[in-house]
Amino acid sequence: MKRIKECLMLIILSSVCALLYNTLSPEGIALVGEWDTSKGVVSAVAKNDPVVHGLEIDSVQTAKEIYDSGQAVFVDARSQEAFDGGHIRGAVSLPVYSFEDKIEQFYKAYPPSTYIITYCSGRECQDSHELAQLLIQIGYTHVRVYIDGFPVWQKNGFPVVKSSTEKGE
Amino acid sequence: MESISKVIWIERLLRWFLGITFIYASIHKIIDPAEFAKIIYGYGLFPHFAINMIAIILPFVELVTGLFLLFGIYPKAAATIIGVLLVTFILAVTINLLRGYEFDCGCFSFNKNDTLSGRYFLLVRDIIFLMICLYLLRFKVKRHEENK
Repeated sequence: MKRIKECLMLIILSSVCALLYNTLSPEGIALVGEWDTSKGVVSAVAKNDPVVHGLEIDSVQTAKEIYDSGQAVFVDARSQEAFDGGHIRGAVSLPVYSFEDKIEQFYKAYPPSTYIITYCSGRECQDSHELAQLLIQIGYTHVRVYIDGFPVWQKNGFPVVKSSTEKGE
Repeated sequence: MESISKVIWIERLLRWFLGITFIYASIHKIIDPAEFAKIIYGYGLFPHFAINMIAIILPFVELVTGLFLLFGIYPKAAATIIGVLLVTFILAVTINLLRGYEFDCGCFSFNKNDTLSGRYFLLVRDIIFLMICLYLLRFKVKRHEENK
């Protein structure tokens, strides 16, 4: 009985510290996150969260219509290795983790007025949102996120480049 | 008397080791709770409404119990909680290994390139930690003897 009381005391102390820290920390997260993929990209809803549902294109058909219109540049947020393994035909690689190294070249090729659609590997991947936020921060005004990513695009038989050595299919 | 002193030192060293391990394990989770929440989601075992609360509270349970073990405050209660956590980790890892689920344990760092052998290693490691915990729970030398 004494042990149970001590355990409870420890858990209550930990919980109070945790909730207090979470409230005060700039890295804090909401008490309930958004983990339902049917509602968009999953997120812990942090105070500095990159996921902005308002930017999301949640239908592969809508993304394909924009692609066919030729108005937008599709930008792949995944690693160079993943891009080389297969990507949307005509997409440009700008890995979110190499952003600082590659953005200068990208900026020269695509001015801030360019309509940009970012994507990664699906609704459990936040890289496309992180890339969108980085692009918005440096002045891009027309950025959206295609949230189903490369796997669903490929599954629908839409134009892809299967590897960096192939031209397309 | 000499053997009692030796046993006390073994208990003390194990307690310090487990305490420091859990304090260390809690730090990166406290610094980046959003990333830890994604790791918990990746296990695919917990209800969505509970994921954030686990990500917020669990690292502090590890930190506080680790500190209590390190400083010898309610060591049995701290060892009990750590034991329960370890049994939960072992079950979660085993279930995901059995169903061939790819996941990142998120134990000491957020490593997206966790390998299968790495997951077996963490299972063995958690079992060793659990054995240390059981030893601490069975430890019976009275505190006043420790001060002699």
